[in-house]
Amino acid sequence: MTTPPTTVTATGLSLRYGGTHALDGVSLRLTRGVTGLLGPNGAGKTTLLRVLATAVPPDRGEFTALGHDPGTSAGRLALRRALGYLPQTPGFHPDFTAFAFVDYVAILKELTDRAARHREVRRVLDAVDLADVRGKRIKRLSGGMRQRVALAAALVGDPGFLVLDEPTVGLDPEQRMRFRGLIAEAGEGRTVLLSTHQTEDVAMLCHRVVVLAQGRVRFEGTPAELTARAAGRVWSSAERDPAALAGWRTGTGTFRNVGDPPEGAHLLEPTLEDGYLLTLDSESRTVTA
Amino acid sequence: MSATITTVTDSAPGLPETQGPGSRTGAVLALARFEARELLLQIPVLVFLLLYVGFTTARLTFQDGMSDYPVLNTVDRNTQTAPLFLAVALLVCSNAAALRSRKHGTVQQFDVMAMEPWRRVLAHVLSTVPLAVLTAVVVAGEFTREALKPGAIGHGSVGELAVGPLVVLMAGITGVLLARLVPMPFAPMLFVVAAYLLMVLATDVSESDEPQVGWLSPMVFSGISGGDPVPSDLLGRPAAWHALYLLGLCAALTCAALLLSGGRTRGVKAATALALAVTAAGAIGQFTRDTAALEAARKTASTTPQKVQSCTEHDGSTYCAFPEWKGVRDDWAAVVERVRSAAGGSATEASVTVRQRIDTSGGIEVDSALNPSATPGVVTVGTRWGGNRVPEFAVGAATVLVAGTEDATTRAMCDARAVTIMWLVLGTDPTPMATFRDVRLDDSTTGSGLVLAPTNGLSLTSHQTAVVGELLARPRAEITALVKKHWSELTSARTSTAEAAKLLGVAVPQGVESCDE
Repeated sequence: MTTPPTTVTATGLSLRYGGTHALDGVSLRLTRGVTGLLGPNGAGKTTLLRVLATAVPPDRGEFTALGHDPGTSAGRLALRRALGYLPQTPGFHPDFTAFAFVDYVAILKELTDRAARHREVRRVLDAVDLADVRGKRIKRLSGGMRQRVALAAALVGDPGFLVLDEPTVGLDPEQRMRFRGLIAEAGEGRTVLLSTHQTEDVAMLCHRVVVLAQGRVRFEGTPAELTARAAGRVWSSAERDPAALAGWRTGTGTFRNVGDPPEGAHLLEPTLEDGYLLTLDSESRTVTA
Repeated sequence: MSATITTVTDSAPGLPETQGPGSRTGAVLALARFEARELLLQIPVLVFLLLYVGFTTARLTFQDGMSDYPVLNTVDRNTQTAPLFLAVALLVCSNAAALRSRKHGTVQQFDVMAMEPWRRVLAHVLSTVPLAVLTAVVVAGEFTREALKPGAIGHGSVGELAVGPLVVLMAGITGVLLARLVPMPFAPMLFVVAAYLLMVLATDVSESDEPQVGWLSPMVFSGISGGDPVPSDLLGRPAAWHALYLLGLCAALTCAALLLSGGRTRGVKAATALALAVTAAGAIGQFTRDTAALEAARKTASTTPQKVQSCTEHDGSTYCAFPEWKGVRDDWAAVVERVRSAAGGSATEASVTVRQRIDTSGGIEVDSALNPSATPGVVTVGTRWGGNRVPEFAVGAATVLVAGTEDATTRAMCDARAVTIMWLVLGTDPTPMATFRDVRLDDSTTGSGLVLAPTNGLSLTSHQTAVVGELLARPRAEITALVKKHWSELTSARTSTAEAAKLLGVAVPQGVESCDE
């Protein structure tokens, strides 16, 4: 299998907020398709996404995306034209219709031809299944619909690099499934960086995954490789194993433990979440029943 | 952890073509169009725009007789105040539009868009232009309609006409700038209150010791005080310089907003310098007036108007007007001819000199009374014409035909002459009773009262009023013949009102006539 070409590379990205290292020498590379960014709260995921989306410049380090260097004004402009960014808590202009809001974003992306722009707005609203409500004011839409409006705004202009910060937070299971489908489609032919707390999202959508903790990259590879980290390190027991890094009671009443299993333990098939938990420092992750 | 760095050579599919500077401008214009549409849909803007258009339409529709003879150097200034409410609405709404992102938390998303914040600010500024253009269209329409009237007098000033639209534009730009300076929703209202107080202060200043300082205010209210108009060259309003000053201010405020939002490009810096230069040039131009020459010209026009007037002759009478009023001289002549046609004796052939006069001794366009002329045969006429000014002028002309001089009215005319004057005015009028009511200060046709004239009014006793009323109830030809027949008696100060009634065959008022009424 050939390795897909790299579209985004970052080298030693660092950013401090006061005395805190939000990012501490982050280096990574992204390819086309959906890359998941996992990490606990405060790991620096949002900060990394904001840096890659050119919202804030790093204190140190550099990155290029789609061949553009955002360190220069020309490169930053070129990258912004090729960028779709969905922040963690997207804002809306509630009195705008869905169409007007996405059209507004399209103008800010400098899509100047009115007819072509309107076609593009209709296309992305169709793509996120909002064609029927495009004339409705955003304040009249449900939370899930608003989130799709935000995704449509990120997708408008057919960006080559899509940065999505926890887009499925707050959505009900049905909406989350629908959103996963949309992100999967968006990942076809694009570079998508998806920040999430949901390992299921990564398992279902991502061809690569980056684990971030305390501003540092702890893992970069495929979901299978992250899962493989837990091979032989997940076992079940009748009681919580005190030696386990993490353990929790499952639906069957037994405990699922992650860590270094005792002799003769009943090993279980590892999941992506197991690999993720093992990747994090035990100090930063405590899961109990 | 992998930290391999590779050179990126690939680009994503379906990206927009790289766009040049032209399309960047196009994007700003597209956003300006979008924001302009949003502005037009804002309720305050929509309501005040409709009110403005409606008010202007009503003003043009429901007019009095004087409106047939609009003095264009006041018409142009009268276009300035009506758009003020629209300007305030635009200020509030453009401010809200510029703060929209901050209010609804879209700053984070929009800050990573290709269009930089300063270009968005430029688009907000440009979005206010259509409303300024709409105002200009209304102003132009209003002025054109007045200017096309056959009786239109003089000429307007493009500088004065530009003030309304420029104030609207400046309000819109100020709203955008305020959003950068004080990003609070209440800031526009506070600003409007402060601006109003400043304009009132500027008006006070302009009417006191430092009239030129008042011109730093966008709109100068002084000079629109309800007095009679004066020739354009006596106004002393540096309208063109003021328009340039406003234009410079608009540009400077725009540049300030762009600089504050990060648009520190060479072009913006150059535009800022140019805008400041234009503003300074306009401000200085406003101040450097030759006030001594202006005062001298005003004095000449007030005291020796013949030096600046041109005259024409009609049927032996002379009609002298300031240059802008030349077109009204025929109307004056028609009135004189009409009044004279009802007279008798030598008055039917009398030559009068109609002299247009103004009084600038108390200031320009302030309410002041002209002193009646003591020169025999001279009739004064003011700078307003049409409507009530026509019978008022007729009173002046009739006074001269009957009493010889205008200043006869300054002495008690408790005799037949007042009745004769009123007959000359009303006996040839198509709607005499209505005109009688209109020309009297108390709008009545009974009792004693003052009849308006271009200079001193004519006092009527209740007996004189009663006799005039009786005359107007009789056949016009019959009374005209009697007036001509008894002309010498009716124009004599020795003939009483009662004797005049007898001579004219109408009922003699009962009781003793009081001349002190």
